[in-house]
Amino acid sequence: MKSLEARLARLALKGDQSAFAELVGLYQDKLYHMAYRMLYNRQEAEDVVQDTFLRVYKNLERYDDSLKFSTWIYRIATNLCIDRLRKRKPSYSLDAESNDHEGLDGYSMIPSDNRTPESELLLSETQHIIHQAIETLPAKYKSVMVLRYLQDMSLQEIGDVLEVPVTTVKTRVHRGREFLRKKLEHKL
Amino acid sequence: MNCNVAIVWMHDYLDSELPRDDVLQLKNHLLSCTACRVRYEQLERTEALMRSKMDSPAIMDSEQSARLTQRIVSQFPAKRRRATGWTRWIRKHPAVSVAALFAIVMFSSFVTMWQQDTQLSISGADLAQLVIDGDTVTVPEGVHIQGDLTIENGKANVLGDVEGNVTVIDGQLYQASTAHISGQVKKIDQALDWFWYKVTQSISSLAY
Repeated sequence: MKSLEARLARLALKGDQSAFAELVGLYQDKLYHMAYRMLYNRQEAEDVVQDTFLRVYKNLERYDDSLKFSTWIYRIATNLCIDRLRKRKPSYSLDAESNDHEGLDGYSMIPSDNRTPESELLLSETQHIIHQAIETLPAKYKSVMVLRYLQDMSLQEIGDVLEVPVTTVKTRVHRGREFLRKKLEHKL
Repeated sequence: MNCNVAIVWMHDYLDSELPRDDVLQLKNHLLSCTACRVRYEQLERTEALMRSKMDSPAIMDSEQSARLTQRIVSQFPAKRRRATGWTRWIRKHPAVSVAALFAIVMFSSFVTMWQQDTQLSISGADLAQLVIDGDTVTVPEGVHIQGDLTIENGKANVLGDVEGNVTVIDGQLYQASTAHISGQVKKIDQALDWFWYKVTQSISSLAY
């Protein structure tokens, strides 16, 4: 018995548009959620979701039934996110005070995205620090942590998605957790 | 218990990967070691914070979700562009495709070689006594030629003696009654013969 997704993928491959739309419906929000956690930017997260489905659509015939559909689609999406994170300019610390503008730090330099739900919720300093801690995680740890906490994936599944051995995933979870712990140390 | 080991076990425990017996050992260690207990509590809170943080579901409202769906679905053509028959066949049989392409390239180069070769060329061991007039090569009467004679794209007019094979490619051979050829006489004017001749010639030239 094949999974629902595998059957939908097969139908979509035969040209069934509604089957593909159903796949979009099943995964769109989850992927957006994940991409948003990785990139912390609405527009980029939407672009990643769109790109992911475009790639899924183009490569449907190469989809291998032995792999879980969710693993496959998350693999595409995380790769796109990691690419974007790597392409970003070398990160500047937002907390460093700017030389040119007395008394202004990095936060005042970035255009505010008022639609971010975080902006309404980031009232406490603790929230702010958590937000920052996640954002400063290096890409390879970030992807592991997001898949672990957000999608509640097992270490094995994360390994499948990222195409790395489970032992590597384990090490990254441990290091990522230590990284976050140190960042949050004073707030715990 | 070593604190370094305890730290690794804490992480394993948080990943629900620590065996039951080890959990008890870790618990005993935490009870006796303040530093590790503090660390464990920090890790546990980090874990809880991250989960609650990541889990905030109100990240995308239904309106935004619908808009995104619209955006995704609208970018696809109404009909999926299927790979046409032969491209799919090529993808399925790469070895055959490569072999076919190779054959085509070889054949076309062979054809161009065949058409280019219209100049008279003579090869043989003893060419000094031959008389060449236009595209006619004459072995005069009474002349005695040692060795083989090969004439390409020309007429051969043999009046004298040839001690060897005479090969005429893409041309004609006249033999007078006075002529004497001790070896074989070959006339090649078929593409296949010519090809075979070229192959055997290049192989024998490699061999010697």
